Amino acid sequence: MSDSKTATAPASGNGIPVGSWQAHIANLFGTRHGALGAGILIVLVIVATAAPLIAPYNPLEQTQLSLAPPSSQFLFGTDNIGRDVFSLVVYGSRSSLLVGLGAALAALLIGGTLGILAGYFQGPVEAALMRLVELFQTLPVIILVLCAVALFGSNFWLLIAAVALAIWPMEARLVYGQYIKLRDREFIAAARVADLSTAHIMFREILPNAIQPIIVQVALDASIAILIEAGLGFLGLSDPSKVSWGRLLFVAQDYMDSAWWMSLFPGAAICITVVGLNLFADGLNEVIDPRSTSGMGGLQ
Amino acid sequence: MLRFVGRRALYAIPLLLAIIILMFSMLHMIPGDPVQALVGDYPVPPAYRQVIEEKYRLNDPFLVQVGNYLLNVAQGDFGFSYQNQRGVLDLILERAPRTILLASVSFALAIPLGMAIGIAAGTTRRPGVDKFWTTTALIAYAIPTFWLGQLLVMLFALRLGWFPTQGIGPLISRTHGIAWLFEKLRYLALPVLAFGIHEGMRIARIMRASVIDTLSQGYIITARSKGLSRGQIIRSHVLRNSSLPLVTIAGYAFGSALGGAVLLETVFTWPGLGLLLVDSIRLRDNMTVVGVVIFSAVAVVAMNLIVDLLYAALDPRIRTMR
Amino acid sequence: MSASLLLDVNDLKVHLRLGHKVVKAIDGVDFQVRPGECVGIVGESGSGKSTMARAVTRLMPNVNIEELSGRLAFEGRDILGMADSELRALRRGRGFSMIFQDPLGYLNPTQRIGRQIQEALSRDAGRGSDKARVHTLLDEVGLPDAANLARRYPHELSGGMRQRVMIAIALASDPQLLFADEPTTALDATVQLQVLQTLYRLHKERNMAMAIITHDLGVVAELCDRVYVMRAGKVIESAETVTLFEQPQHDYSRRLIELSTRRLTRELQS
Repeated sequence: MSDSKTATAPASGNGIPVGSWQAHIANLFGTRHGALGAGILIVLVIVATAAPLIAPYNPLEQTQLSLAPPSSQFLFGTDNIGRDVFSLVVYGSRSSLLVGLGAALAALLIGGTLGILAGYFQGPVEAALMRLVELFQTLPVIILVLCAVALFGSNFWLLIAAVALAIWPMEARLVYGQYIKLRDREFIAAARVADLSTAHIMFREILPNAIQPIIVQVALDASIAILIEAGLGFLGLSDPSKVSWGRLLFVAQDYMDSAWWMSLFPGAAICITVVGLNLFADGLNEVIDPRSTSGMGGLQ
Repeated sequence: MLRFVGRRALYAIPLLLAIIILMFSMLHMIPGDPVQALVGDYPVPPAYRQVIEEKYRLNDPFLVQVGNYLLNVAQGDFGFSYQNQRGVLDLILERAPRTILLASVSFALAIPLGMAIGIAAGTTRRPGVDKFWTTTALIAYAIPTFWLGQLLVMLFALRLGWFPTQGIGPLISRTHGIAWLFEKLRYLALPVLAFGIHEGMRIARIMRASVIDTLSQGYIITARSKGLSRGQIIRSHVLRNSSLPLVTIAGYAFGSALGGAVLLETVFTWPGLGLLLVDSIRLRDNMTVVGVVIFSAVAVVAMNLIVDLLYAALDPRIRTMR
Repeated sequence: MSASLLLDVNDLKVHLRLGHKVVKAIDGVDFQVRPGECVGIVGESGSGKSTMARAVTRLMPNVNIEELSGRLAFEGRDILGMADSELRALRRGRGFSMIFQDPLGYLNPTQRIGRQIQEALSRDAGRGSDKARVHTLLDEVGLPDAANLARRYPHELSGGMRQRVMIAIALASDPQLLFADEPTTALDATVQLQVLQTLYRLHKERNMAMAIITHDLGVVAELCDRVYVMRAGKVIESAETVTLFEQPQHDYSRRLIELSTRRLTRELQS
């Protein structure tokens, strides 16, 4: 990672300083992976926000035709109670993206805070927090979330909180690792010598340098959150008042022999979203650390 | 090496204690009648109410309750499932082998598949081959297992009729020997395929990264300067060293297999631990839910210990540590 | 003239791509080694001396090479154009070997020492069992108790012992030319001297040519017949060792000599 703090930032070919945000974004779109991932995500966000304009039907409205196969009238067919699957999939993007983004950001908030605390206060605090991380990482994420939902009900916001609670350890580990790596770097030491405040060191010196791997982790977390939400929906344990892709698959389970479209399209939507997030993360990773993607090269 | 493993075992005990306490606290936090919280949605006859209150010391302070619960668990008493009218541990021990069967056959597919792809992608000299496998792994890994399961059922079971759609086969089988095995395999095939592909792709991604890391090591340069061929270098210097990180994630993979089983067993109505957990959640059979979670935690922690032992046996840097 | 040369490098260029920049790591270097002689290559870090050794032995690490050109001949055979199989044959017997600065990183941590040496043995019939040859090699590089040592792993050895193991690996193919890339930089001062003495003894006993890459002119003064001084990817001076020390032609060489004499006097005083 190039250090943007150095006074003379070398310029890349197009005149954008290497290591700047613009350069990274330009690079991201330079890698085919990253550009494709970012493209998928942008389309998804547009679909989710403009859902009423895109969906031809009200997703909750029941038409006369139930279990109708895909046709020009119903692009993805209709479900068992005659709702338009295409409209359902379009509206389903809202809960998926909301859960993905919400849970990942909440996990970042929890994990990031604890990770920085662990890194900053070494010694017993560090040890205690890392044990806590281990505790949460012992149980499979989905089982943790299932437990929470089982015991406390399947309210939508509770679900986001439960997912965040299950995935924060990954953020904590990463932020902690980044913090430790950067803690002893020269410019941090310089900031200490210059007697800058703790908060200043944390947020103005360390955070900007650790932010890229963290964005990668947030994207990966969001994809995990979306998969968990889909899983809960599939088990029939998500908020029944919200249209979600997982819940559509839950219903489809009973109609596998008669309506393949009820399973195919919502499932494909989950896939595409998760692939998009992973491609985006991969692309960003490639920009940060080009070495991670080179193969055998010199071995003859 | 013994000290290394011993230290890890000592870590495990407080970890398990913490999980059990956490789970019991969660039960405790359920609003409403504490007896009902333990039993779930099941009508409790007044006569039993007192028995339960005494057994779990519900009228004592919270800490006493926790201590009492820990003692029960330590003695193998995970409580009673009123919905199933059986002891929780009994239920778990009946279901666990089926999940283990599913998971182990799946990993028997996933490990060679994932390693082969990871090595092929990591060692190839043609960027196209690497791109192909990384993209394949990325996409395949993004497919939720339960959806893949549905697709497989719709295609191979319902459309083509090659495999049964669900279950583990008849309880009392009339077949024996090879025919019996074949029948079992027919029921295993689709869930194993769905699970194996998913886990295999995870392994492929880790393996590829590990192979690339190994190839950048100095001893690969030494091996080249010895005049070894590509194949010789891969066989004697890359394979073993880049498989070591795979061992470290085995414990984690085992845990995620348990998690994955929840979804997969639901698709195929495979009556293992995962389905037990889901059914118990639906029936609000809280005692069983907590029991399954604690059991899973114990299994994951035990697996992590085995992994530590295995890692120590494979890596001479730890093996020769005194 | 070229017939009497073991290694003949002409106009070697190695340009590397680093991000958006192209770095001329080696920019037109001539370099010769005669059979059985010891040559030193000195320069500061980043002068391109290691890259040159890597390019000549075709052991470039995994980097983006923008250009690799020049005439590289080993016993009159073109190294750059050589087929992989021919190159491997040369590394396996009577060709060239290399040892490195950091022996721990260049030894496989999960393999026993014996096996790592055995793997490099030249394929000569009638020279005893592999095991016996490994033990002989360990003896030869000054490591006693060979049978026990062969069963050890790299992390169980000291830095000096590891470097001796690296030397044993390098000698296993009976090379005519040994490249030593900063062979003692990572070692303690006393161990440095012992390892250098061993290298010198092997060079004499085996009549094996050596090319020692170092930033330390003191090493060169003790071991080498001739010296190449490198700076920024170019050879700026080459001469007999004695001549270089007595009449350095280049300011840069003079500074290097001053630096090393100052270091030497400091060491003698302490």
